[in-house]
Amino acid sequence: MSTRRIEDRIELLQGTLDLLIMRTLLLGPTHGHAIAKAIQFRSDDVLQVEQGSLYPALHRLIKRGWISVEEGASENNRRAKFYRLTAKGRRQLVLETSKWDKLAEAIGRILRPAE
Amino acid sequence: MGRRKRMMADLEQDIRDHIELETRENLDRGMSPEEARHAARRKFGNVDSIVEETWEVWSVVWLEQLLQDIRYGVRILRKSPAFTAIAALTLGLGIGAHTAVFSVVHAVILAPLPYPQSDRVVTLLERVRLRNYQNDLNDPSPGDFADWRALNSIFEDIAAIQDRSFNLTGNGDPVRVEGEAVSASLFSLLRVHTRLGRTFNAHEDIAGGPRVVVMGYGLWVSRFGADPRILQKSILLDGASYQVIGVMDRNFRFPDPANFHASLGDQLWVPIALSPAELSNHGSHYLQGALARLKPEANLRQAQAQMDTIAQRLAREHPGTNEGVGVNVVPLREELVGNVKSELWILLGAVGLVLLMVCSNIANLLLVRGSTRGRELALRIALGAARMRILRQLFTESVLLALLGGCAGVLFALLGVHALQGARVFETLGPSGLPSIGHVGVGIPGLAFSFVISLLAGLIFGLAPAWQVMRCNANRELKASVRTSDSASRLALRDILVVVETALGVTVVVGAALLLRSLLLLQQVPLGFDPSGLLTLRVIPRSTQYSQPWQRTSFYREALDRIQEVPGVKSAGAVSFLPLTYFRASKGFSVEGEPALSSRELPMAGYDLVSPGYFATMGIPVLEGRDFSWNDTPQNLPVVVINEAAQKYWSVEDPVGRRIKAGRPEEATPWFTVVGVVGNFRDFDIASQPRPTIFFPISQSAEETSLLRDWVVRTEGNPLATSAGVRQAIWSVDKNMPISRVQRMEDVRTTSLAQQQFTLLLLALFAGLALVLASVGQYGVTAYAAAQRTREIGIRLALGAQRRDVMRLILSHGASIGFLGVGLGIVAALSLARVMSALLYGVPPTDPIAFGAVALLLSILTLIACYIPARRAMHIDPVVALRCE
Repeated sequence: MSTRRIEDRIELLQGTLDLLIMRTLLLGPTHGHAIAKAIQFRSDDVLQVEQGSLYPALHRLIKRGWISVEEGASENNRRAKFYRLTAKGRRQLVLETSKWDKLAEAIGRILRPAE
Repeated sequence: MGRRKRMMADLEQDIRDHIELETRENLDRGMSPEEARHAARRKFGNVDSIVEETWEVWSVVWLEQLLQDIRYGVRILRKSPAFTAIAALTLGLGIGAHTAVFSVVHAVILAPLPYPQSDRVVTLLERVRLRNYQNDLNDPSPGDFADWRALNSIFEDIAAIQDRSFNLTGNGDPVRVEGEAVSASLFSLLRVHTRLGRTFNAHEDIAGGPRVVVMGYGLWVSRFGADPRILQKSILLDGASYQVIGVMDRNFRFPDPANFHASLGDQLWVPIALSPAELSNHGSHYLQGALARLKPEANLRQAQAQMDTIAQRLAREHPGTNEGVGVNVVPLREELVGNVKSELWILLGAVGLVLLMVCSNIANLLLVRGSTRGRELALRIALGAARMRILRQLFTESVLLALLGGCAGVLFALLGVHALQGARVFETLGPSGLPSIGHVGVGIPGLAFSFVISLLAGLIFGLAPAWQVMRCNANRELKASVRTSDSASRLALRDILVVVETALGVTVVVGAALLLRSLLLLQQVPLGFDPSGLLTLRVIPRSTQYSQPWQRTSFYREALDRIQEVPGVKSAGAVSFLPLTYFRASKGFSVEGEPALSSRELPMAGYDLVSPGYFATMGIPVLEGRDFSWNDTPQNLPVVVINEAAQKYWSVEDPVGRRIKAGRPEEATPWFTVVGVVGNFRDFDIASQPRPTIFFPISQSAEETSLLRDWVVRTEGNPLATSAGVRQAIWSVDKNMPISRVQRMEDVRTTSLAQQQFTLLLLALFAGLALVLASVGQYGVTAYAAAQRTREIGIRLALGAQRRDVMRLILSHGASIGFLGVGLGIVAALSLARVMSALLYGVPPTDPIAFGAVALLLSILTLIACYIPARRAMHIDPVVALRCE
């Protein structure tokens, strides 16, 4: 299998993964591992995100100014990086969510026209 | 980049924490410690690629990839030094030639003239449309100049200019100095300043005003030792004393702003001081032009429109002189370089075609190399490299190679321009030669130009390997064996490149062939006189002792007599302006006994003043009647001699004995009787057909301004051998007489062809380059095809094919490509050669001889280029060929 196809998949996932991360952070700042867990848990384990791929996405969001990063203490009082949704990110999330809804609706109509 | 470093450090900590948390969860689920850590890692994914991907988020990706590509490209180029050297040298030749020609174009056509806002400065000339005379660049009359200046509202000012030369005496040997009589406003109009003193004021620019002179820097240094007290001195010009009031800056040249040959350039300026009579003279056109500066808000079109209106008004007010006389507003640069512009652009175009040929040659080389690199590229595509990424890398390599070629090109260009200057090509370009040529050097613009065309060249020849990659089928490439990996499409592309290259070559060579044909024809044009054995020199009697016409006449007579006594001299004569020196003056005249015509329809003829014996000395035959003699004095019958071409104005067979006069019949000018008819000869230049001409005897001339300037001496043997004797003969009459331009008439003729020769020389050079490139390209593609088919040939031979058949196989493939290129080239050249028609003499741009010769030459070269590899293929040993596999 060529890596080219992997690239295609990441390309496909990128926007979606960004959306999921921001949605998770809407509940409050948290660290990387917790984000991964939350996405897995909340999607009833359907979305098997390779955990590592979370990090380039996080950094991309930081670069765009949609999330910020800060020092914090994890559940068991260890120091960790905490990611927080910024105001700009919040606006972006609303935008992306409505876009996603429209897309999902449109695809749904195509896939199940009889309904 | 500090932020990136911090973020990456954070990332590593994050990843550690993440894996640790995951491991702990796994332990809680009851895994063994080792199992837990392993599972955590697996779930996380490839740490290295995650880190790299995140790194890319924070990097300026394209820049880093570019650096990476450049490093890789340099490595590739160094890995095959022979290929790199050949490609860079070929490119260097192409780019170097292009840069050298561009440098000339830039210096002559593009660089601003050395006057502030020189693009606002224009020259006003007359656009004359008469029945027998048309000239868009006619010298203005002083009356027209005065009226233009008074009536226009579009120019800041207008200044009149008239060429003057002076005999400068005192302070050493007598010399003739070129100068210019100008309006006082000229210097402020050009916005130039003096180095010492001042320029003229309005009081000095009136008839009878004080005699003042502004001196050029060169003359000040060479003749007066840069004397700082020059302003307190007077100098003797034509025997009269002129007060020096100013010295111009070192780099001031006028009217040719780039004349760096001080001995030829104008070196002093005096006020033109037009008299009231001159200022109302609309009939004699003897100003060199009128210089004007556009007002800031005005443009060229408005200026032309306003001057058209003024010209119409003048035509109504002075119908006798101004009918059919318009105004031509010409940008100053256009006026200075108009005659060489098309040559230079054609040269630049030709050298551009050569550069394209170089590009296609290199593209072919890259394709050949590409087929050996095919596996590498296929492997990289298979391993997931994006095609775009590979393309970018290939283009980076091409551009690197091109820039390397560009560096070599700059060196070649420096050498080329140096060689041209060393050969004094620029200086011998004739009187109408390249202006601004003193400046030519590969400067910043030349460097910028070579950089840009290097980049372009790189992109152009980079297209070929890029196309190859786009079509690369990784699967097939990897499965196939190295030796037979050549795909059909790649072969076709190579063939197309050679076809294009040959076609381009044909175009360039056709251009050179047409120019060669026309120069050969020019050299064979019968001049109408015999230049061999003829010595020419310039002697102008112009001081107070020659102020009366009879004083000059006796000088001419005496000096010519003395010259004819010099050993080796057969005869001597003098004329107002020597033939082939681009001088032309015309007069309208009336013929007695022919129907009267309006001033617009008057017969026109050139006119020249000559001494008795001038025609005989030149070898111009007297066909009817007689030559002038010294007995044609002002007291006797006024006479003229006409040339054959002027006979058309008479309805009778033999015009000898008939009379003519200047202007219209009712004018109060004297009648002249035609006493002789001489043969036509080439006058203005070699290319122009002889036109009707009237000759006046200097011995009858009554006008103050009528002068003989150029002297001709018919000698036995080498003309220059007699020059010392001739000088002595003249000095024995007047020891203060400057003698200049001592040269053979053959040299005058050569100089008059220098510009064509220069263009031909360069074009021939490019054509030679084109021939080599076309042959090499053809050879390369045929040899490669033969090598690729070694196995096939081996099999054919093993199965009993004749060696002749093998040869025919290779030859026919190569030749068909070459002939296709020649054919296409001929078609392209047929349409392109039209741009050259202005440069051609006696040859149509579709000249079948030139086209045929070029087609034949390139076909022969094609056959030779194909024959060599075909011969080699013929001698392939089938056993060796088959074992190779």
